[in-house]
Amino acid sequence: MGSTGKSKKRLSTARELTRVVTDYYLECHRARAEGRPVGWMPPMNGGIEIFYAMDLQPVFPENWSPVCAAFSLAPGHFEISEGMGYSRDLCGYLRNIVGYVHSDMNGPGVPLGGLPEPDMLMSFGGGCVPAMKIFQILESRFPRAKVFRADVPQVACEDIREHHVDYAVSEIHRLIEFLERTTGRKLDQERLHRTVELSDAACRLWDEIMSLRRCRPAPISASEIGIMFVMVTRQGTQTAVDFLTRVRDEVAERAEQGIGVIEDELVRLFWDNIPLWYNMGLFNEFEGLGGVVVAETYSAAWSLRLDASDPGRALALKRLMSYSLVSCLSIERRKEMVLKACRDYGIDGAVFHRNKSCVPITLGQDEIIRALDEELGIPSVTIDADHMDSRNFSHAQFKARTDAFMEMLLARKNG
Amino acid sequence: MHPHAAMEPFLEAVQYRRQRLEGAVSRGEKVIGYFCTYTPVELIHACGFLPVRIWARTGPAEKACAQVPGFICPYMQLSLENALSGEFLFLSGVVQAYTCDVACGCVNIWKATFPDLLVHSIPLPYNVSPEAGAYLRSCLEETVEKLVSAGGTYSDEALAESLDLYGRIRGILSALHEQRAQGTLAMTSADLNVVAQAFFAMDPVHYLMMLERLVADLNSCRSILAPGIPVLVSGSVVEDAGIISLVEALGLRVAADDLCTGLRAFTPASAAGQNPLEQVGNRIMKRFPCPARSRQSQRIPLVLDLVKSSGAQGVIFLFQKFCTPHLADYPAVCGALKDAGIPSILLELDGNAGMEAQALTRLETFAGMVGA
Repeated sequence: MGSTGKSKKRLSTARELTRVVTDYYLECHRARAEGRPVGWMPPMNGGIEIFYAMDLQPVFPENWSPVCAAFSLAPGHFEISEGMGYSRDLCGYLRNIVGYVHSDMNGPGVPLGGLPEPDMLMSFGGGCVPAMKIFQILESRFPRAKVFRADVPQVACEDIREHHVDYAVSEIHRLIEFLERTTGRKLDQERLHRTVELSDAACRLWDEIMSLRRCRPAPISASEIGIMFVMVTRQGTQTAVDFLTRVRDEVAERAEQGIGVIEDELVRLFWDNIPLWYNMGLFNEFEGLGGVVVAETYSAAWSLRLDASDPGRALALKRLMSYSLVSCLSIERRKEMVLKACRDYGIDGAVFHRNKSCVPITLGQDEIIRALDEELGIPSVTIDADHMDSRNFSHAQFKARTDAFMEMLLARKNG
Repeated sequence: MHPHAAMEPFLEAVQYRRQRLEGAVSRGEKVIGYFCTYTPVELIHACGFLPVRIWARTGPAEKACAQVPGFICPYMQLSLENALSGEFLFLSGVVQAYTCDVACGCVNIWKATFPDLLVHSIPLPYNVSPEAGAYLRSCLEETVEKLVSAGGTYSDEALAESLDLYGRIRGILSALHEQRAQGTLAMTSADLNVVAQAFFAMDPVHYLMMLERLVADLNSCRSILAPGIPVLVSGSVVEDAGIISLVEALGLRVAADDLCTGLRAFTPASAAGQNPLEQVGNRIMKRFPCPARSRQSQRIPLVLDLVKSSGAQGVIFLFQKFCTPHLADYPAVCGALKDAGIPSILLELDGNAGMEAQALTRLETFAGMVGA
């Protein structure tokens, strides 16, 4: 059983995130109260920009799971879903959401008021299987919601061809038709164009923030990765751009002044796979030993740029590329990305989270570990855990492995 | 000696599949492997390759454990173990229809581990629509392109012939499944499983001849199987007929299956279309769906129909352990069966043996429950 802990935030803008999160959920509830249609969707699918351009309210049940984990609600939701017959071997996101929607969703103890019930569901074929199955289960749970049965080619980034793009574009157009028909609202192409521009601006800012982590000492670490919230829920809005601009400015200032995450940065670390949402404090444990997690695979998923001159194609490409990054990217490409990040960020050691709740990202890790060792001489440590279910995490085992790993990295540095 | 002499070649085909495929390759044939039965085997065959389904084994996964975590399905884990042990050196490539995350991830590992192999994944659409059909056609054309680049040749005529060949095979296998459902098939389901396994591992021309001999043998056979309580077996990959034998030994009769290595692989036998490539695509889109490629609302009525048409009085779920698509659908399917008054039991296959005693105990209880 793993202990839980929140990470320590150094950025004042990261502390501001609480307000951004609260505002988002308030907006979701206000939409419901005002009759503005609410649609639930998986993240990274190119639908968020269309929703904001049509004044519809996007809600992301997958993103709600980290909130549940952070507020220690997930174990109760697991109990409910497992009681319904969902196996403990299934992804924690799935078990958490299923448990949540079958509990008192908006009850008095639920933080942020919970999620407003959906008027529409963007139920995807494609993406990872748990993400796909979550929405099928939601279809049964919310029978009155209008369902858009979306499709996306499951193809690795490097194998994308024109017919994949054409099909993805046709699916974007079909989504727009569905939304116009279901809500009676007409999509203003000019607004969509502007929304895609804002989405791209957010990606550019995200890239800038991530790039600043190359500085020594690193001005921001993985413990601040919660800022990703705006990339999931606010892409295509001025809110995201404004918030990320403030983060970028603060991080740049810290970098310029040589202010690091910790006073004496001895070792720079890379993190592979999704963090343990119920114990983000683990990142600070490295810091206590002089290590800072300065780069990770997960944050790279938000670095996709969008060409606003053709919004439909831009969103289709975003959908194709994003899904590939988390579900079917080739090992060769993943290796390239990780090795490049390790070079760019001056990594001394890599931490691989063998994540029982995320098979797609976990498969292939051993190949990448070998490549890091053979091609860059960078050592790695593997920790067995789960990004949602603390029952699959042993803090003692984590400590034993990472302490020894840090000791070895420090000895290499000094030797 | 098997009671049906015509079964012997099927048993041998499975037992000596590796040696026979190595022999075929030494005679100049080229073999392409696949995992999922959504893979368009006719297309691979038409391009001049012999398509064979990659098989797993029982026992520990020692080599594969260095490449994959322990929490993926035993079929994919033990297939990789086989590959790393040199079982599939005869393969020229792997062509795989995209199904689940584990199959995709493992195909990527094969690609990284065996760089000389042609490895191609076909991103099938999930929806059925004219746009999806056109897209699927492009995916199939791309697959042809890959196969040609690996030394194959393609023509519409060759594809028409392959479609006819596989259509006849599937038609016969579907008919055998239908006879089983009606209780008129003079062979056990364990044997039918062996017949299916042979299909996945050999040249279809030779296989069709064997199948026709088997049908003739069965038609002339006067033996009638012990009646038994009819049940449906539902799940993914069941390679080992042993578990089916175990079920049948308890006074249960497998009247129908919903397995990707059973009925789902053969239904429908073929599909219409304006040209051979379209026929391949249409068959894929009309296939009895797997949970990895379909919605619960689509599959549940089909499973209930299968229960009804076969007269099954219970359902035995046989899942590969950690199989997300099946496990995620299980509560809904199980609930629908319960509403229909059909009892069910779930057994997870872990591939590493050691579960027979537990499975037997649970199956005995289930058999008692349905009145066997």
